[in-house]
Amino acid sequence: MSAIAKAVADRVLPGRVWLYANYHCNLTCTYCLTESAPKVAKRELGAQRMLEVAAQARALGFTSLGVTGGEPFLLSYLTETISKMAEMLPIVVLTNGTLFTHARLEEARGLAGAPVAIQISLDSADPVANDTMRGPDNFRRVVAAIDALVARGVRVRIATTAEHIDEHELERLCELHRGLGVADEDHVVRPIVRRGRAIDSGLGVDTDLIDLPPELTVTADGAYWSPFGPTVHGGRLDTDLLVSRTTSPLDKPARILLRLVQGRAPGDDAKLDIR
Amino acid sequence: MELLDARRAPLLARPFFEGGDPGAIAATIAHVPEVLDATMPFLAQMFGPSALPARTKELVILRTSALLDCRYCIQSHSIAARDAGLARDEVLALRGDGPLSNQFTDGAERALLDWVDAVAGSTGPVSPEIGDALMSHFAEPDVIELTLLAGTTMMLNRFCTALGLPTSPAALARLAEDCLL
Repeated sequence: MSAIAKAVADRVLPGRVWLYANYHCNLTCTYCLTESAPKVAKRELGAQRMLEVAAQARALGFTSLGVTGGEPFLLSYLTETISKMAEMLPIVVLTNGTLFTHARLEEARGLAGAPVAIQISLDSADPVANDTMRGPDNFRRVVAAIDALVARGVRVRIATTAEHIDEHELERLCELHRGLGVADEDHVVRPIVRRGRAIDSGLGVDTDLIDLPPELTVTADGAYWSPFGPTVHGGRLDTDLLVSRTTSPLDKPARILLRLVQGRAPGDDAKLDIR
Repeated sequence: MELLDARRAPLLARPFFEGGDPGAIAATIAHVPEVLDATMPFLAQMFGPSALPARTKELVILRTSALLDCRYCIQSHSIAARDAGLARDEVLALRGDGPLSNQFTDGAERALLDWVDAVAGSTGPVSPEIGDALMSHFAEPDVIELTLLAGTTMMLNRFCTALGLPTSPAALARLAEDCLL
């Protein structure tokens, strides 16, 4: 068993490897970590590299994958690529859920029954409150996409990112997702992290190394400590949570990450429940 | 070229920022933290205390930097040389501001400077006469370390010059005090 496989088995390292498929997005959310928007640099990882990372992650002993962005479904090859990646490891794909045209939905039928979960952002059961954060008509399009994906047998998770959420609001959200056929265990609520555009919007909680699980995260710019690491502020890529510029072979950043984890002071641990 | 500060220092680079400003070279290489992680211990060994006297090492570093016309290294190591006990006129001579023969009369130091001029000031093999002269004054391990020091300095000379690294305000103030700007 490799050192990385042992660290994952012993829960020293989380089992999931994240990939930033791209940085551009059709939305411009107020709290976006990566300042993603339609016109930003794409910083695309590419289908070939995504498949290489998946294969190397499995060989090293990691147990699952996550794909995020930007909006990954802006990439024409995404569905085919995640389908192939899912043959290697279970995968969750984060999306804003607004790009599921009829053609995309039909393409997604191939994901039914595969170890793939499509995690869609929905921040409020109130369309106005949701759309204030995520853009005009977002609520309607997202709810329609969830409904259509579930009807095609695709596993859907719902991620709610919120500054504050009271019990009543949470209950309304849960009624909504249950009604759409999404189970409670597939609804995650997470805080806004004060990085990227959230800084300028005055939103979120401050984080540091000890707040974030050390989930190896591969981007076009390097490997990071966490998917909350390769953020962008003022158009400039953050480097404070950069592990290495080298990402291939994956063994190299994985070993550096393990070394960093083992060098942390005893008692340090992830404090935020952000997955 | 952005010099990273402690706030933007990547994880592997953080230890190098714990004592304050790590200098322009480290703050630049920090952009590639795995390279910084491998490079800094090597540079610390080459430029820090070792079996060779500090004065001897600064002769090599400053002379090499002058031959390669590296403004950043000349300025930084004029200060280091003065701290290692070199006289101001010796520093100026090493920088090319005056003949070396007037300042350096010791046989070992003359042989060393001829060696450095051959290693850093030209290409191709070093002549046997210059090599034999050096070997008559220095042990084999010393020659190896001195030559690697000249080569490492050349690497940094080109790095600092190509990227236009800035000399720190504190270093410039010190040089001004010593009339070495």
